Amino acid sequence: MSEISGKVLKHDTQTRSMHWVHLIGFLILALTGIAFYWDLIGISNIFGGPANASLVHRWAGVIFTAGPTIYILLNFERFAKFIDTISHFTKDDFAWLKTMGGYIPFIKVDKAPPQDKYNAGQKILGGLIIVGCLLVILTGFPMWLWRHTLPAAFLAMCYNIHFWTAIIMILLICGHFFLAAIHPKSRIEFASMMLDGYVDAEITSHHNEKWFNALQKVE
Amino acid sequence: MSTVSTTGIITVSNECKACDHCTFICPTGAISGKLGEKHHIELKKCINCGQCLINCPFGAIEDYSMVNEVKAALADPKKFVVVQEAPAVRVALGEEFGLAPGTNVKNKMYAALRKLGFDKVYDTEFTADLTIMEEGTELIHRVFNALGVEGFENSGPLPQFTSCCPAWIKYAEDKYPHVLPHISSAKSPQQMFGPVAKTYLPEKLNINPADITVVSVMPCTAKKYECDRPEFMSSGFKDVDYVVTTRELAQMIKDAGIDFLNLSDEKADKLIGLSTGAATIFGATGGVMEAALRTAYELLSGQTLDKVDFKAVRGLAPVREATVEIPVKALGKALPVNVCIVTGLKHVDTVIEDVLAGRSNYHFIEVMNCPGGCINGGGQPIRRDTY
Repeated sequence: MSEISGKVLKHDTQTRSMHWVHLIGFLILALTGIAFYWDLIGISNIFGGPANASLVHRWAGVIFTAGPTIYILLNFERFAKFIDTISHFTKDDFAWLKTMGGYIPFIKVDKAPPQDKYNAGQKILGGLIIVGCLLVILTGFPMWLWRHTLPAAFLAMCYNIHFWTAIIMILLICGHFFLAAIHPKSRIEFASMMLDGYVDAEITSHHNEKWFNALQKVE
Repeated sequence: MSTVSTTGIITVSNECKACDHCTFICPTGAISGKLGEKHHIELKKCINCGQCLINCPFGAIEDYSMVNEVKAALADPKKFVVVQEAPAVRVALGEEFGLAPGTNVKNKMYAALRKLGFDKVYDTEFTADLTIMEEGTELIHRVFNALGVEGFENSGPLPQFTSCCPAWIKYAEDKYPHVLPHISSAKSPQQMFGPVAKTYLPEKLNINPADITVVSVMPCTAKKYECDRPEFMSSGFKDVDYVVTTRELAQMIKDAGIDFLNLSDEKADKLIGLSTGAATIFGATGGVMEAALRTAYELLSGQTLDKVDFKAVRGLAPVREATVEIPVKALGKALPVNVCIVTGLKHVDTVIEDVLAGRSNYHFIEVMNCPGGCINGGGQPIRRDTY
């Protein structure tokens, strides 16, 4: 039996709140966006018709932008550390990626290489989500606020970037949801972001060994 | 390309992404729809200019097409099909074949039209010259009327507005009916060409007028509306049968497999294919004004202009004004002629309201709906890469 027991705080209240706000905003944005891009009137009608679906989409976009912005302003050091973590790829990360951390059924892994607070896959996802968010925000607001005065070609470009970025993000989030909530190896961490913020110390010592060891050193 | 007969020339297709860009482009507020819901054109307000069409980011706005009727006429051996092309077409058609904007492909265009099967290839510039002679003379009569010169009492009031832009005419009819006496009674060059082709031409070429089909190639979607106006039957037949845009002509040339760029240069047919430089500048904002001033100057002064350019009326500002001193031989003194050029109907309301309130000091006002004039018409090639 392992000597490690108890729980470790992985995500604090503000991080979890921001994640919830972003998640709800994203779901509304994805649903309304899909509805009016493909003219799915059944979905639009849930929001009161296409014009109202668009209105909901735009204000959900404001929340989608404001949520992380406020979080970053209030937690700048934590965010800087997050960026530092996800932007540093070590030999262990590349080794982890080669075997996909053992999450893929047909790749046998005895022991995955030690990982930081976020594994290599989460690091890539984090980076892609940040870039994606910036792209949809930077194209979305001009599409709304300057739709009358922007040149047609620029507006069309904004729509294309917005659409394809959103599609990629929806696919990424589907993958993220599968690993976070369904996959038996990783769903054990589900509550850490969605509920109380804590993860099992024993599991963390395996899954996020480097971070866990660093925590122990501080203590 | 819409081939379904609609109640309007311009329609929003199901491809509309509801981006709402067009509501700001439309000069008359004819397009309704909130961001996110498909947009709709109110036919009563629409002036058929097609600015929404060429500015739609998704190409979701279409104009009614007469191309099939033109092809049918060309295929009918009983029909004698003649074609006219507006001045702005020749400097834009080349864009559809990869040439730089502004390249004059007039002579290749004539060759292509012959290859398409038109029996005679004429030029709207001939009737643009007629228009300007009419408008210039009418302006002089109105000036004489205002000065109290005997014999001109029945001439219309000043200022005189130009009449060749069909979008502007519909706008004035719909919104400012009281300004109509100020608009020149001259027909547009397109509509002058129709009766000339259906009366003068049959006489000279010994053809039955009923067999003649007149086709226009125009930079403008509103010309399709203009040719269908019920009053334009002065030849006893429909004066201009069909209108195709620059874009549609390019497509017809491509569909026919004509190697446009390698066509040899040809000339327009004689009789109604000749023109002056004044007709050529009709396609740009200020062009009609400059052409009219050249005519008025020569007619009033009895002198030939050394320099024909009136550069004061050129430019791209939406509202421009200038004063030109014209010596009047009959009065023995020079008269200052105050002129105004409006490009873009969004800017015309103040000018009209001043005229109707008696506050305007202009003598002649040129109005073109499309920003920059006919060269930027709703029927011109759509080049997104030039932004």
